[in-house]
Amino acid sequence: MSDKVSLSLTINGAQHALTVAPERTLLDVLREELRMTGTRRGCDAGDCGACTVLVDGLPMLSCLSLPARLGGRDIRTIEGVESGGELHPVQRALVQHGAVQCGFCMSGIVLAAKALLARNPSPTLDEVRHALGSNVCRCSGYARVVEAIASVGGRP
Amino acid sequence: MRYAEPETVEEGLALLSTHDDARCLAGGASLVSRMNAGQVAPAMLVSLHRIDELATTTESAEGLWLGAMSIHRAVATEARLRGAMEVVRSAASQLAHPAIRNMATLGGSLCLADPKTELPAALVAASARVEVAGPAGRRSLPVEQLLVGAFQTSLGKGELLTRVFLPRGLGGAVGHHLRFSRVSADYPTVSVSLVLAMDGETCSHARVVLGSCGPVPLHVDAADAVLVGSRLEARDVAEAGRLLVQASAPLDDVRGSAEYRRMLIPRLLGRALSQARELAHV
Ligand SMILES: Cc1cc2nc3c(=O)[nH]c(=O)nc-3n(C[C@H](O)[C@H](O)[C@H](O)COP(=O)(O)OP(=O)(O)OC[C@H]3O[C@@H](n4cnc5c(N)ncnc54)[C@H](O)[C@@H]3O)c2cc1C
Ligand code: FES
Ligand code: FES
Repeated sequence: MSDKVSLSLTINGAQHALTVAPERTLLDVLREELRMTGTRRGCDAGDCGACTVLVDGLPMLSCLSLPARLGGRDIRTIEGVESGGELHPVQRALVQHGAVQCGFCMSGIVLAAKALLARNPSPTLDEVRHALGSNVCRCSGYARVVEAIASVGGRP
Repeated sequence: MRYAEPETVEEGLALLSTHDDARCLAGGASLVSRMNAGQVAPAMLVSLHRIDELATTTESAEGLWLGAMSIHRAVATEARLRGAMEVVRSAASQLAHPAIRNMATLGGSLCLADPKTELPAALVAASARVEVAGPAGRRSLPVEQLLVGAFQTSLGKGELLTRVFLPRGLGGAVGHHLRFSRVSADYPTVSVSLVLAMDGETCSHARVVLGSCGPVPLHVDAADAVLVGSRLEARDVAEAGRLLVQASAPLDDVRGSAEYRRMLIPRLLGRALSQARELAHV
């Protein structure tokens, strides 16, 4: 038998009151309770980064996070990245560079890039590569992805 | 499954004693992953994130106490980890990948005791001690006595790790961590953590510890003894490497066969020593 935990999550600025079993991960809750399916499930083990969200601005893996611990924290998912119907500059750059193939890894990559650019507005290619260390792309088109993200900060 | 968020160590201990199958939850990176895979299903999860004491860093004349709930990112950016203690900062800043470093903790790394991971070896290199709280009070022990086997610690039932002490170490000593991995975000194939002090061109102190080379971090006194008093020439490094290889029981897995790891050990040792030597001369 499971205890249930009642909590309030702040996701993309909006409050969500939920009652969940404590072992349900943030990824489960986002996809299955809130139907925010932009956050992807790849491995459920911390290996792929498809489930990346930002918690207080830092990339974290929603598949390994228990929502019970995230009350009061600022959670951002891919659904909260565009503003006023406009794509985020990272998203625009990825499109312009033709960097997206099947797209499965992209929600995680966009959020990791957004977090990087917030700290370091003009990262080098190497800094971009390190910031994407958590994110695997099975289509493996990393070169254009890295170039696209670096271009946002004005690097070639 | 039951779930609790104690606010003090004492409350946490009381909760751990209520269930035979109660588990601490630190960063969750490994525990939640194992729960997702159906490998563990604790009856009671005791989350440690609200216990302020476990997230506190305190400095004393002898060294630094790091709380068990310090995340890798915080250890990696702790400017007071200088000199010999830098080996721990260096390991925390390189291990795994950014999202794991934002989540996983020092205490979780020690209590998981995974031979593939790097902080346990770095802490042995730093001559760290750990403090453990339990039903009978608190005790402190050298980190080697906590790590008793692969995925095995000497923690008793109902005990939890509260903090880790890093001694300042010898003046002039430097700490350094080198990992060799297939790609930078992967677990290392072999890692070398070391503390080194030089007196001119002569090595006056060395403590070398390897990861992924046995069930627990590999430290061989005789290998350190070969380096101390030497000028760290190729034959000294080769002899220390030979003693380490002889004592090793490397992992044999997808990242490398045991044979391959035995070949890596002396080469990585040489590289780590020359990098540390540069740091010692700056
Ligand atoms: C995908 C992935 C890649 C990784 N790559 C690397 C790598 O390259 N190098 C590396 O060094 N490490 C790596 N790690 C391991 C990581 O650094 C941590 O060691 C690990 O995740 C455990 O830390 P945690 O805080 O998440 O602990 P948890 O998962 O929360 O806990 C781990 C275990 O320790 C117990 N525990 C935790 N804290 C305490 C405490 N204070 N007292 C008593 N028991 C406690 C828990 O009950 C549990 O059994 C990786 C982990 C993952 C998931
Ligand atoms: S689904 Fe979370 S890291 Fe792969
Ligand atoms: S674009 Fe297909 S996984 Fe990255």
